[in-house]
Amino acid sequence: MAVASTFLPRARIPRLNRVLTLVRREYASRRTYRLAFLLDLLFGVANLLVYYFISRTLEVAADSNLGVPSYFAYVLVGIAITNVIGAASTGLAYRIREEQFTGTLEALMVQPVTLTELSAGLAGYPFLFSMGRAAIYILVGGTLLGIDFGTTDWVGFVVMLLVSALAFGALGIILGGVMLVVKRGEALVGLFTYALGILGGAFFPISTFPSWLEPIAKIVPTRFAFEGLRRAIFLGDHWARDALVLLVMSIVAFPFATYFFARAVEHTRRAGTLTHY
Amino acid sequence: MSAGAAGPALVPAAVREEAVLTLTSLSRRFGKHVVVRDLDLRLEPGERVALWGPNGSGKSTVLRCVAGTLLPSEGTVQVCGFEAGSMEARALVGASLSQERSFDMRLTGRANLLFFARLRFGSERLAARRVQEVEEELALETIASERINRASSGMIQQVALARALLGDPALVLLDEPTRSLDAEARERLWQALERRTRTCVVMATHLDEDVKRCGRRVDFPT
Repeated sequence: MAVASTFLPRARIPRLNRVLTLVRREYASRRTYRLAFLLDLLFGVANLLVYYFISRTLEVAADSNLGVPSYFAYVLVGIAITNVIGAASTGLAYRIREEQFTGTLEALMVQPVTLTELSAGLAGYPFLFSMGRAAIYILVGGTLLGIDFGTTDWVGFVVMLLVSALAFGALGIILGGVMLVVKRGEALVGLFTYALGILGGAFFPISTFPSWLEPIAKIVPTRFAFEGLRRAIFLGDHWARDALVLLVMSIVAFPFATYFFARAVEHTRRAGTLTHY
Repeated sequence: MSAGAAGPALVPAAVREEAVLTLTSLSRRFGKHVVVRDLDLRLEPGERVALWGPNGSGKSTVLRCVAGTLLPSEGTVQVCGFEAGSMEARALVGASLSQERSFDMRLTGRANLLFFARLRFGSERLAARRVQEVEEELALETIASERINRASSGMIQQVALARALLGDPALVLLDEPTRSLDAEARERLWQALERRTRTCVVMATHLDEDVKRCGRRVDFPT
């Protein structure tokens, strides 16, 4: 019997209201955990303070090629952007895992929404939350911890953030598909994104890596995101090449990611494991 | 309120004239274990059928094949001529499968219903109207304002039925929908189904009363 691929992507433009509906539900649900919501933000700021005092205590080299004035300035951007990239690349996978646990995944899958709408809607809240968190970190760094954003090209910053989100969103869709199939994939997903952050230069300039690791770090996609964003923030220029690389990555990766996710859904329908966790 | 006449029907009239559900030689295996073998079924508009049999006999498997969350191992499933699981078919089907674990537990029944209605209709106003209609019809006003994690199994089951009926679907799939309901709630369920004279119902059950009110039965042996 020929089994048609009913969930495989079609040329449908995602309907924004469906995507926003999924985001709103997640926000409404998260809002009921008010203390956790606040503690999450407080923990992030406390984490920044650790690096602030490390930077003040030790003379740690920053990356002067990127115009970064101090190690704290370097790591502030690294942490803020790691949050955004992390949410873009793991948000969907973790949300799928939660939906599997709570049993709502099947109820969502029988609704007339496309997989693109579902993916964007499920990943939307963690992504927006991470953007808000990054904005707060940068605000705290600028107003309370002495980072100078006077040279920042804010257009470049926003463009870099958007293309980074697109590129890592494609990765996120692939990881969402992995989670759907392997279920307990949290450790794999966590390890993968942590490695991407470290290798891309979130906390240390890649020039400090061992010589055998540096060439690998240079081709890691996160490197383009971190460097482009640091250039936009601290040099106020020279971010366009990084943005272009990430844009090309997104254009190449998105069709593959969407196809991969659809195949993962198809696999769970065939294996009968959509409701399993 | 007449639920069957509420708002524009989702299904074009031309589509409604053909069989709403067609199962052709449907078989489903899990590994070597054959759960459903060579099932044929055709439902015209307004027909109700009870899938009757003991636990584990394959009733829920058939419902999931129709809802599109399971692929048949062999055979085909079509809803109004569309392949089960396709966007078109999903727009025509209202389903209540695993009722108790299918809502956001932190939100109220109403917030959950509004969420699913928004996904289905897109329009905020239409979603709110449909939810209000179904709440009134099933007398859910009090239940719907409870957070799901504070609601009983029977209450959640009623919210799950309300979700399945949102938007006057052409086909309603119900998995043991009366299991935890009291007599009054059961009666409201049956009245709601009987009011929808053009809606097909496929119900998995092992209760005689459900079978009688469906009027047609497909037996699932042990």
